[in-house]
Amino acid sequence: MTSILNNVLNAMQQVIIEPVEGSLNLFKLVGGSCLWATELLPLSASQKVFSIDDNTPFLQDFLIDAQLIWNGSEDNRVRSGFWTEVVANNKELHLEAIAIKQDDQSLLIISNQTEDFTLRQSTMQSARELSLYNDHLIEQNEYLHTRILAIFNKPYEQENIITALTKAIENAGFAVLITKSDLTTIIANTAALHLFEQGGSSTHESSNPVDIIVQLLKNQLPEYERIIATKSSWDGELCWMSPPSTLKWLKVALYPVLDDLNEIKNWIIFANDISNIKYLVQRNEKSDLQDLLTQLPNRISFWQRLEKQIISNIPFYLLYVDVNDFRRHNEFYGHDEGDKLLIEVSGRIKSSIKTSDFIARVGGDEFAIILTDIDNQACCEGVVERILDCTREPFQTSELESFNVNLSIGAANFPHDAHSVEELMKFVDLSAYNGKRSKANSLQFYSQSMKDASRLIIEVEHELREAIKNDEFELFLQPIIDLELNKIVKAEALIRWNHPTKGMLFPDSFIAIAEKSGLIITIGKWVIDTACQMVDKINKMGHKVKISLNLSPAQVFDENLFPHLHTCIKNNKIDPCLLELEITEGVMIDDYAITEKLLNKVRAIGVSVSIDDFGTGYSSLAYLKKLPLDFLKIDRSFVRDIVSDDNDKAIVRAVIAMAHNLNLGVIAEGVETQEQLDFLEQNSCNSVQGYFFSKPIEFSSFIMLLQNQKKKDFESHSS
Amino acid sequence: MIQKKICLLGASSVGKTSLVKQFVEGIFNEKYLTTIGVKIDKKVVTLENNSLQFMLWDIEGNDRYNAFQERYLRGASAYIIVADQTRTTSLIEGLEIHSLARKVAKCPAILAINKSDLQPSWHWEDKGLEDYNDLFDLHFYTSAKTGANVDNMFIELAKLLQES
Repeated sequence: MTSILNNVLNAMQQVIIEPVEGSLNLFKLVGGSCLWATELLPLSASQKVFSIDDNTPFLQDFLIDAQLIWNGSEDNRVRSGFWTEVVANNKELHLEAIAIKQDDQSLLIISNQTEDFTLRQSTMQSARELSLYNDHLIEQNEYLHTRILAIFNKPYEQENIITALTKAIENAGFAVLITKSDLTTIIANTAALHLFEQGGSSTHESSNPVDIIVQLLKNQLPEYERIIATKSSWDGELCWMSPPSTLKWLKVALYPVLDDLNEIKNWIIFANDISNIKYLVQRNEKSDLQDLLTQLPNRISFWQRLEKQIISNIPFYLLYVDVNDFRRHNEFYGHDEGDKLLIEVSGRIKSSIKTSDFIARVGGDEFAIILTDIDNQACCEGVVERILDCTREPFQTSELESFNVNLSIGAANFPHDAHSVEELMKFVDLSAYNGKRSKANSLQFYSQSMKDASRLIIEVEHELREAIKNDEFELFLQPIIDLELNKIVKAEALIRWNHPTKGMLFPDSFIAIAEKSGLIITIGKWVIDTACQMVDKINKMGHKVKISLNLSPAQVFDENLFPHLHTCIKNNKIDPCLLELEITEGVMIDDYAITEKLLNKVRAIGVSVSIDDFGTGYSSLAYLKKLPLDFLKIDRSFVRDIVSDDNDKAIVRAVIAMAHNLNLGVIAEGVETQEQLDFLEQNSCNSVQGYFFSKPIEFSSFIMLLQNQKKKDFESHSS
Repeated sequence: MIQKKICLLGASSVGKTSLVKQFVEGIFNEKYLTTIGVKIDKKVVTLENNSLQFMLWDIEGNDRYNAFQERYLRGASAYIIVADQTRTTSLIEGLEIHSLARKVAKCPAILAINKSDLQPSWHWEDKGLEDYNDLFDLHFYTSAKTGANVDNMFIELAKLLQES
């Protein structure tokens, strides 16, 4: 090899080694003559053939990969990756080997990579310290959040709550603030006071930590009003500048504490100083405008771009994309899988928009997109459809478990809907939030009607709270008749709202809002209480009639449901066999494991269970076989045309046969005519319910009905 | 002397390098310095009737910057999955690495829950550690800092390998 090439190799800190033909483990040095190479492979210096043995075990192992390349028929190469070798005087060599096959020549190049190694180590050091810090932060936040909520949920005396909370937060390694519903401070730990201490300089700003955070939120977060109004959680970064000496980056989390009426009792605020982390990120990434995880532009970068876009005065659409149930996903699969999902979602969205469009990650699970060169809603809808299409394909966890993700997308137009960055962001955020209620993929354009609908929901929610306080609900009963005994054996409890101005309201006008607002839990408890009292009264009058209650999905997943039910049964001293719970098919599918656990518990104490509206959902036979059930209630939509429609006839016959095979009783809902009743009787249906017998009636009327029945029974027996 | 290749695997910053350093040199360094690539150390483990030379492959931790590489497990007599008891996620990541390693290496696997001198992560107990023990041939709570259980882990591993 020429001396010039040798000089280059020495300058590059590389040596070239060639395997001796016909030998598996003999080599000779063919280029380069560095001191470190002699220290690594002492025999290579003598220009003689040498072997690579277990004195350099990593290299010895790499020869297996090298041999595969050298024995192959095509030109190829493989790299070993970095490894560290300790030579004389404890000197460390950071090396990399490359096995090459080129024009039938086999070569092994070993490079001293100290420079690259040091650079990579320094970068990885910062990156890993950062992720270590984040991991600890997340764990501490989650732990403390759960612990504070647990303290709030315990029946403490007020002053004991304060003591318990103070004890819980005092030693946290970050600022923790607990406030009243109006964001006035109740407790701040020492870390909070330290974090918000300002240099001795005079300042006009408040030094109260909560005031500072609220001010930062108002100034830097267009979603602030929506978050407070909708009692949502939020976490993200805020920049606190207070001249002349304060510049801190804060990672802030805001969590609501709600009472039984779903009203804000308190706010929990966490704040961490992440200025050092920001510095590390900047040093590594050479930019503070990029999101580390997804490599997309971050919120600040997005803000700047949006401002420029508005200044240019060219119409565009702004999209706000929210990954539904991301928090649940994170809890279920873990944070790493959550990160993986965000990377995948961002990649898929990016691939479905034009390169001239701008996408950024603006929150934990939120992305914002500026769609340029679009000035009409139809085009915008087309882009959104593309985005939704590409996220419809199932995602996979590292364990190859498939799952689906739904997006809520809010859209607003510049200049039609708003003229400023703040307003635009506020409007798209509100639109996405509205769409999110459906849990399915959704696109919601900003509109006046959307704003009006939101207001209406807030009004009804407020009225519902008043209704709970003022005891405006009533429980009506609709009799269920056993066809074999020909008597009332059961009654379905149906709630009515005696509204002060609108009169008697049916559940379909308020239950959906109660479910969305979480008030259903409190209303559901009232229903259980009242039903238990009714069972007691009916029983004391000498009638044995069961009352069945409808459970909403939120109640099924409420861990306090069973204890509450059990307490009511005990307090009223009623036989649990006189209660039945009705759940819909959807609930079973939402979370089979939780449903099964609850149903097993209620049946263990003697309460029976029925599946309501059977046939309208998607329940499979497998669910019916496995779940602990007693009755199926055939939905009224099948009963309505049972006399005239052959399909409905076939369906009802099949459901009855299937239920009986599974040892389940069958109740037909919505029976209104003698013909319908005849058909059901002929096909061995067990029980019926509907206007043919009675509409849902007040408790006193139901008692009269029972008394009349008793009288008739008596008369028929005595005649 | 019989040589045994032992790989140390796990998430980053769980203390793989510190465990090796404590075992080979009896030293612990408070400063965390991330490992890049692979570094191999050797140490002879003497049992009652026999001695084994351990080739300890200290492999860069797996995280979003560095994916698990199965080729490093080639010829391994055992591998040790190291987790950090102050960080729950490191156990989950360790179990994921274990399931990947299982696919390519049919050798004994050891779980080392390191940093036992520190306060455990608050959620650690909830994870039902007993359930995971069945996945491993041996498991130890170790502290590379105090040396607690470190020698013992390698000696028990040597015994296990001697028997097999």
